[in-house]
Amino acid sequence: MTKKKTRSSLVTGLAGGPYEVWAVLFILVPLAFVAYYAFTDNDFRFTTANIVRFFTDTSPAAGGEGTMVRTYLVISWRSIKLAVISTAVCLLLGYPLAYIISRSSPRAQKTMMTLIMIPMWMNFLIRTYAWMTILQDTGILNNLLAKLGLGRIHIIGTETAVIIGMVYDYLPYMILPIYSIMAKMDFKLIEAARDLGCAPAGVLRRVILPLSMPGVVNGITMVLIPSISTFYISQKLGDGMFFLLGDAIEGQYVANNLHFAAAIAFILMVALLAAMAAMRYFTDRHTYGGQ
Amino acid sequence: MKKASKIFTALMFLFLFAPLVILLVFSFNEARSLSVFSGFSLKWYRELFRDTETLKAVRNTLVLAVCAAGVSTVMGTAAAVGIHRMRSKYLRSALDMVTNIPMINPDIITGISMMLMFVFASRLLGLANSLSFITLLIAHITFCLPYVILQVLPKLRQMDASLPEAAMDLGCTPWGAFWKVELPEIMPAIVTGLIMAFTLSLDDFVISYFTTGTGFQTLPIRIYNMTKKTVTPDMYALATIIFFVILALLLLSNLTDSEDSQKLRAARRAKRAASGRPPMDPRRRRILYACGGSLAVIAVVAAVVFAVTETDNKPQVLNVYNWGEYISDGSEGSMDVVKEFAAWYEEEYGRPVQVNYETFASNEDMYAKLSKNAISYDVIIPSDYMIARMIDEDMLLPLDFDNIPNYQYVDEDFRGLYYDPEDMYSVPYAYGIVGVIYNANVVDEADTGGWDLMWNEKYAGQVLQFNNSRDAFGTAMYRAGIDVNTTDRSQWDLALESLLEQRRSGVVRSYVMDEVYNMMESGEGAIAAYYAGDYFTMLDAQAEGVDLRFYYPERTNFYIDAMCIPSCCQNKELAEIFINYMLSKEPAIANAEYTYYASPNRLVYEDPDYIEEMGEEAMAILYPDWGDFAEKYNTYAYRNLDNDLLDYINSLWETLKIN
Repeated sequence: MTKKKTRSSLVTGLAGGPYEVWAVLFILVPLAFVAYYAFTDNDFRFTTANIVRFFTDTSPAAGGEGTMVRTYLVISWRSIKLAVISTAVCLLLGYPLAYIISRSSPRAQKTMMTLIMIPMWMNFLIRTYAWMTILQDTGILNNLLAKLGLGRIHIIGTETAVIIGMVYDYLPYMILPIYSIMAKMDFKLIEAARDLGCAPAGVLRRVILPLSMPGVVNGITMVLIPSISTFYISQKLGDGMFFLLGDAIEGQYVANNLHFAAAIAFILMVALLAAMAAMRYFTDRHTYGGQ
Repeated sequence: MKKASKIFTALMFLFLFAPLVILLVFSFNEARSLSVFSGFSLKWYRELFRDTETLKAVRNTLVLAVCAAGVSTVMGTAAAVGIHRMRSKYLRSALDMVTNIPMINPDIITGISMMLMFVFASRLLGLANSLSFITLLIAHITFCLPYVILQVLPKLRQMDASLPEAAMDLGCTPWGAFWKVELPEIMPAIVTGLIMAFTLSLDDFVISYFTTGTGFQTLPIRIYNMTKKTVTPDMYALATIIFFVILALLLLSNLTDSEDSQKLRAARRAKRAASGRPPMDPRRRRILYACGGSLAVIAVVAAVVFAVTETDNKPQVLNVYNWGEYISDGSEGSMDVVKEFAAWYEEEYGRPVQVNYETFASNEDMYAKLSKNAISYDVIIPSDYMIARMIDEDMLLPLDFDNIPNYQYVDEDFRGLYYDPEDMYSVPYAYGIVGVIYNANVVDEADTGGWDLMWNEKYAGQVLQFNNSRDAFGTAMYRAGIDVNTTDRSQWDLALESLLEQRRSGVVRSYVMDEVYNMMESGEGAIAAYYAGDYFTMLDAQAEGVDLRFYYPERTNFYIDAMCIPSCCQNKELAEIFINYMLSKEPAIANAEYTYYASPNRLVYEDPDYIEEMGEEAMAILYPDWGDFAEKYNTYAYRNLDNDLLDYINSLWETLKIN
């Protein structure tokens, strides 16, 4: 028995080894560089000026004369708002769809899941471009509405358009993890709950939701993260009217302000890590059995 | 309930596929537009298969995705096994956490962090250029790895731990137990991980944008760099083809799973049994499939790597870095200048040359990469103010004009200008003037003439402003008569006030770059400031009911884009030969006709065929009679501004954008 253990741990050591080295070299070290750049100036001397600038830079506000707002806090707030709304919409649309798919025949399940994956194989820049032409004032959607006598609506360049783009691009990331949990779910539990007199809403709240919670958490993570940092979608569908955190980082990079770009990235990273840790901590305690 | 869920599902799939249908339909459009369907044509498919640069980008994208998915699947599976068997709880949870980082980190941060590290590491090692295919591959493997691990690890945890133990008790080696028992069990998860990694790598733009180097541009980057000109419809054709390829693959995989093939397999089994051979153990069959699958992957990777290294073996390589869509590329029967150069060179010098032609989206984008020694090119084509800055920072090499005899054809007007006063570093490629484009069916002729049109509240919600700070501020400054190169910050504040007023009054509909084409052509916007040559591109594609016209305001931007050799150049003589070739008659005319930009080359603008091809109106607009060119140019062209001021302008720009 002991001999076997040592043999298998040798295999283990060999198996995990390359990845451990890789993880340190290409995951941890680059993050250290972000921190290093964030806390240094152009001559690589220590400074907190970049971090302070993020919280203190001001610009004149739209409202009255003379009122000032904190530039990057306004940008952050808008990014968070759009990302949270998009994530919520993805969840509201993706959750029932994942449920419906998981209850269909195995063949239908396979077909529908591949159908959901297909758009991800088209380039996302091109997909976003296509949405631009659907949503614009003389676009397909408006022409359709006009033909139906419903009147035109102005969507492109509004926050709604940016949200539609984000939901479209990231919806599969919500559906996939939820579906993979639901497909494995034991539906006898649901039947049992029904047999025992539970109302449909109760079944959802007390059985399905808790069971699928790990999938939901993964889905939220996978949608929230890219939508909080996107810059292409906001540029194209927002008509360049909005400026999100991703735009700010990219703008500073292009303007050759690497240290300030790193500072924005650093703050965003810390905030996200904290948020995710909190979410995992919270959900791990509230799902049956946790992970 | 049942019905409701069916309708919901149908609507969701409609939502998911609507843009794909649009791409499919418009890939058959005769015109360039993505909003007006003018007739069925296969033109863009022909263009696509002729467009070597795009096909190369497709190949690069596939090479990268296959390599990244292959490596990350093998390494990730091994890592999952390692983590699973790890006995130290702390080490395991630490590794779990690290694995989660690339998934929790936005891709822009992953991209920037890796770029910072690569640039730093290569400075330490003294390498010429820090970013290359290898760095891109490392970045892709890194962000694919967690997805593979998180697929495989749960499967390992679900597996009955006593199975491999039993195998070993029965005399299997640990390696054999893994290979025969565990691997087949976790195979479905490995395949899912592989597919996910491949998909993610294929679609990634942001991380590639920050980590790719010379000689390896992927499709998403190529598309992004079309941002000054316009995304060409052969991209829609490409998307359509990808769609049908995937559909075919899916149908194929569904077919092999269908009842027919199951019957077929049953029959084969029966035959096997009848011939006296024992039936194949399903587990063994799965292993066989797994082995076959991995062999296929390895074969593809090997073939692909071979293809990559093969191109690197060419004796001479010329790396050219230019704006997107800024050279005649052979589309619509034009001359493929890059290809022709390679052919001409081989004939003239008896040696083959491989030209890597790559694109950037803006001067600043190019500068950001070159200044960090992240990439190396032999010929670049930046704009005037950026040339001044690069000369200032010793980033350009003086040219040897003995190798560029065609320089004699460059007009005298383009000598001794501010950005290169001694004509040592640059050879003008194209030039132009910013003007105002308007839809005459919407705009009163009486309102036209100056910059005020772009602030006119009569046309609220119909004005398109530049989506880059220098040009947007430029419009406000020319309007107010402010020097666009002033170092007086209060003047820039005044310009910001003007732009804020333009935005708050609702006059501005959008801030645009390449979107301007679609919007002006379809009538979505009625007024826009853009480059003179691009007006003619729009004119060619305007929709019915749109009547585009053009004028120059009195004070406006003059710019020159010129060919230069950066200090990282590897083969200066070859670069000079290329520059000289670009000045010779045929390629110069082809480029001028393709870009619609004015040429400083006498061989072009004095050529009767060119003049006829362009037409009277175009000649009048592109080559206006301006009297003393140098004086106007030196007054109105953008100059290089110092870093502090650029930083200040950038923050003003952010102020405008958050309002």
